[in-house]
Amino acid sequence: MIRFVRSVGSQALERLAGLGRSTVMWATAIWGLPGPGDLVLVLRQIYHVGVLSLIIIVLSAFSIGAVIALQFYTQLSRFGAEDAVGLGLALTLLRELGPVVTALLFAGRAGSAITAEIGLMKATEQLSSMEMMGVDPLHRIVAPRLWAGIISLPLLTAVFNVVAIYGGVVVAVEWLGSDPGAFWSGMRDAVELWDDVGKGMLKSVAFALVVTWIAVFQGYDTEPTAEGIGLATTRTVVLSSVMVLAMDFLLTLSMYGDF
Amino acid sequence: MPEKNLIEIEGLSFKRGDRVIFDGLDMVVRAGQITAIMGPSGTGKTTLLRVIGGQVRPDSGSVRVGGKDVCLMSRGELFELRKDLGMLFQSSALFTDLSVFENVAFPLRVHTDLPEDSIRDLVLMKLNAVGLRGARDLEPSQLSGGMSRRVALARAIALDPSLLMYDEPFTGQDPIALGVLLSLIKNLNQALRTTSLVVSHDVRETLRIADYVYVIADGVVMGQGSPESIASHESDRVQQFIHGSPDGPVPFHYPADDFVYDILEDAAG
Repeated sequence: MIRFVRSVGSQALERLAGLGRSTVMWATAIWGLPGPGDLVLVLRQIYHVGVLSLIIIVLSAFSIGAVIALQFYTQLSRFGAEDAVGLGLALTLLRELGPVVTALLFAGRAGSAITAEIGLMKATEQLSSMEMMGVDPLHRIVAPRLWAGIISLPLLTAVFNVVAIYGGVVVAVEWLGSDPGAFWSGMRDAVELWDDVGKGMLKSVAFALVVTWIAVFQGYDTEPTAEGIGLATTRTVVLSSVMVLAMDFLLTLSMYGDF
Repeated sequence: MPEKNLIEIEGLSFKRGDRVIFDGLDMVVRAGQITAIMGPSGTGKTTLLRVIGGQVRPDSGSVRVGGKDVCLMSRGELFELRKDLGMLFQSSALFTDLSVFENVAFPLRVHTDLPEDSIRDLVLMKLNAVGLRGARDLEPSQLSGGMSRRVALARAIALDPSLLMYDEPFTGQDPIALGVLLSLIKNLNQALRTTSLVVSHDVRETLRIADYVYVIADGVVMGQGSPESIASHESDRVQQFIHGSPDGPVPFHYPADDFVYDILEDAAG
């Protein structure tokens, strides 16, 4: 019993110490950038984590938009309400699925890559050698990736929303023959700029902060071995996904929960 | 013979978990000399370099580099100090996303405002010094182990540091690469008028180039002196290390229960 309590206590302390280290790292890195000379580092990382994620985002968005439109059309047409497909699609995407699915895909595609890259740099002593050259890896390596993630994820979310709506249009309007006027006007009447678009993007920024934070910390704090990097990469995807889903519930509750 | 001490270590103690790495270690590195730190694997030689560079904070003691105690320095002061240090890592630690040229140019680009022409000239001079001017456009993945280490050396001397630290520079090198590294360390120390600290357990090679040698084990200095005096040192432990005897004060066997008891216990189930 005492051994169990001791083990729980020790693990809790370890987790707390990790949280402390990650907070210090995050704060040090995020305030260390960007100077004008560092802009190119951020732009390079935006290319790696943002531009290179575009393909998976676009393909997933089109597919998800098409599936949602199909489901809405199938159910709503039973009540003769297929004109509401546009507004249902837009609200579902802008408020929930856009930010959440983009963040999940981003964690899997870019978050894992960031963790593996930083972890491998640690294992091959590149971070240590940088430190010994008088260059702070928190500013040179961690900060550009943090900022790139924070900038890229909301932009990817916007792309996701646009492409997913297009996917819905292809299915509902082009294929199943919904009235295009009713589709677009229903969407325009229902969607509010701040309540739907703005709050959705706000969620995306919050997810970006957390996902990139987890990704860079897992890489920076990893055990510098092959096994350690593998575990850290897995932890990034699992932790990020759980955090995104949990945060989404809390954010939705605080933004839309008017009970 | 230069008289000034570049590094002064007093009463250095450091533990990793329950394991004592340094137990009141004292050491002095004279400016302009090649000082070798030798000792069996796992005695904390690399950790000592990291302590000197401020990457590892000791539990107690003082480590003064150029008169300033690195243990008392802030993060910013440490990064400032390190601009004047060069370190050659055992793994070379080249940046894999940069070419050979860009690896050597990295510290110059980060720490100076030199125009591109000057950076190019300096990089080519450093690469020429290690014999790899012709490899400037190669990627790190295209280099052999010896070449990687020479590129890393060119990068370490890019800013003409006052102190060059070498972490196991001879490990895994073929005889030619080893000879090249030995002459480079010796020649660069003279040409750059720098101070070199070589951590190694390659006895013969290290004794050939060192001006002064420390042998450390069990967290303390077991022996010190010129290469000649170390070769004939009276300590059994130093002699075992220098001559590579498989058994002696450092036992062949890792501490364990009695062998017969171990076997019988297993047989008894």
